[in-house]
Amino acid sequence: MGHPNVGKSVFFNRLTGAKVFESNYPGTTVDFTKGWMHLGGEDVELIDVPGAFSLEPKDLAEEVAVKMLEENRDSVVICVLDATKVERGLYLALEIIERGYPVVVALNMWDVAEDKNIRIDVEKLERILGVPVVPTIAISGEGFKELVSKIKEATPVKIEKIIENAGGVESAAVSG
Amino acid sequence: MLKVPLSVDERWNLIDRISKQTVEFGARKHTLKDAIAELTVKPLTGIPVAIAVLYGFWSFFVDFAGTLFTDGFMVRLFDEHWLPWLQSVFPGGLGNPFYALMVDAGHIENGVLVASDNCLESFGVLTSGFFVPFGVVLWAVLAFYLMFALLEDVGYLPRLAVLVDTVLHKIGLHGYAIVPTFLALGCNIPGVTATRPLETRKQRFLMITLLSVFVPCGAQIGIMQDLVPELMGWIFLTLVIGYLGFGFILNKIVPGKSPEIIMDVPPYRMPMMKNIVSKLWIRTSRFLLVAVPFVLLGCLIVGLMYLTGAMDWLATVLGSFLMSWFGVPGETVSPLIAGFLRKDLAVGVLGGLMEQGIMTTFQVFTSVVLLCIYFPCLATFALMLKEENWKEFLGSIASLVAMVLVYGGLIHLVGVMLGVA
Amino acid sequence: MNEVEEKFGQIYFAVLGAVALAFGAAELIASAGEGFTWGILDSSGAADPMFLPWRAIILLSAGFFYLSSVKNFAEIHQLAKAVLGSIMIWIVAGMAIWSRIAGSIPGEETWFNSLEGFLASYAPPYCPEVFLLPFSLVVVYYILKEKEAG
Repeated sequence: MGHPNVGKSVFFNRLTGAKVFESNYPGTTVDFTKGWMHLGGEDVELIDVPGAFSLEPKDLAEEVAVKMLEENRDSVVICVLDATKVERGLYLALEIIERGYPVVVALNMWDVAEDKNIRIDVEKLERILGVPVVPTIAISGEGFKELVSKIKEATPVKIEKIIENAGGVESAAVSG
Repeated sequence: MLKVPLSVDERWNLIDRISKQTVEFGARKHTLKDAIAELTVKPLTGIPVAIAVLYGFWSFFVDFAGTLFTDGFMVRLFDEHWLPWLQSVFPGGLGNPFYALMVDAGHIENGVLVASDNCLESFGVLTSGFFVPFGVVLWAVLAFYLMFALLEDVGYLPRLAVLVDTVLHKIGLHGYAIVPTFLALGCNIPGVTATRPLETRKQRFLMITLLSVFVPCGAQIGIMQDLVPELMGWIFLTLVIGYLGFGFILNKIVPGKSPEIIMDVPPYRMPMMKNIVSKLWIRTSRFLLVAVPFVLLGCLIVGLMYLTGAMDWLATVLGSFLMSWFGVPGETVSPLIAGFLRKDLAVGVLGGLMEQGIMTTFQVFTSVVLLCIYFPCLATFALMLKEENWKEFLGSIASLVAMVLVYGGLIHLVGVMLGVA
Repeated sequence: MNEVEEKFGQIYFAVLGAVALAFGAAELIASAGEGFTWGILDSSGAADPMFLPWRAIILLSAGFFYLSSVKNFAEIHQLAKAVLGSIMIWIVAGMAIWSRIAGSIPGEETWFNSLEGFLASYAPPYCPEVFLLPFSLVVVYYILKEKEAG
């Protein structure tokens, strides 16, 4: 899952060899597509879903995404983030983690982030979140091998643990 | 103690902490790409660029589909080889009902039934039924999707959306509407599906209704360009005015909100050959799967209606209404019937009528516009049923009927006032 | 880019911009009437008269883009204007050439064109954009320079 136009469909096509439309504008995918990929000798089902900004759906495409998530309670979620807009992507990732899904985070468009001079400390992010974090460039396929190998490492994480790792959190009242 | 799930503020607070520790924004220098990206969304520089892009889109389309394939090879293949060959080998011959359905219905000239000399006039399943999809429309669709895939992958479309945002706001839509509109220019079906990211039901209703009425599909455009290239400018102008005008009115009538949609403008990217080719392949093959059976079926139905005399009966019954309201002759009934199934076929049927020389230029113009707006093709119609609830669907149909009557009448009126009708 | 390159760019694109403007104005005037052919310069819009006014608008804008890029040419946002001006000329000229290619392959009476017919399709006169095309390519040098620096 991830925001619109972060490259979910490119991931999906790369991982399953399927042919889902990829375009350079948000909202290309409006329905889900299922496909199969190999993972450690077995076939695993992978679902490509439309982009969503949060788990509170605001349009039909987001509804599809959230419904797919709810219908597949025992799945691992590959959360695709735009590396140039990490904060926004983390919001969705945290929501999914809070709901108890094991998550792998892909920091996609790593090349664009480098162009824009944005540096992300992947190891530290991994430590804080407690889930695998992999920088990727979906279009050229960089980082995919690592991503696939880490799918099995994904385990559910308690949000309290993340808060502790991040050094606590102020309550909304204080921060507001 | 914290409660799970976190509140929105708490979550952002946490993200803030995480990103402060892990993300570092270095000094940001504008690249040439950024500078170009900026120029293409500012109106002063963006509009000329948009004109250039659309110019390129259209001239590629015309030369690829029209000059090279349809006029260059297909017309010769079908009119000089396929049609004469079938006319010579197919059992029955002129006047035989089965022959008329499959190959050539012929037409009356000075009281004598004569054979057709082109694949639009002949109106057989094997002649027109193949010429329309494979001789004309396939190439138009291919050219359209090639250009469209390029625009998509480069990332130009969302910038066009930003440019037209202000205009579209006036009709209750958002710049994003350019995406479904553009898609619908290829085929209305993906256009309607692409309305899903619109947030309110009102926006979707407006968009779907406007799309299905005022946006001609690539197949239709291809065959229009083939038949009446000199009228294309006027046809598009009429459709754009209708799209904006009725959008404005519908926005006032339909209850509900049309809030701002936040759309990201992605960076420009180098398109990848592989992706373009695969998209082109999927879209074109989908088109063939949907179009060809409908065109063949449409040919058969229209042919049968001619044979049984149903078409002549309809033409007489509806003739006076069509003539007085829209200013088009009763014969236009046959393309209108074909249009329920496929718009490209409908324009093809109209082309056959034009060959017989029974219509004035303005009548041709009016009929072509009417064919665009009077009914979405069957496939789009079915999709509208699926995408809208029945109330919205009835609303769409009602506004469709109203729009066709009003706009068609208006065009006739303007024609009369200008003295061309 | 160094100072010499900047100076050259300024003068070059000022001249190119002025020429583009002149051609654009000529096309605009031509589009109001029947169009004209002057030696090897073709502004008749013979293929499709509907295209002519649009081509004029595009060429005029390209001219303006070039001229407005001249001041402080080395600055990236200024250079970008020259690049866009060139891209617009590439689109129109590219399509003019494509139109010739598309028309040159099928023959009049035969499936494929004869060799003479094929070559004859590429004979002048050409539209102004095609003449400007080689000159507009100079911008590529500056794009490459910019890439090196970045």
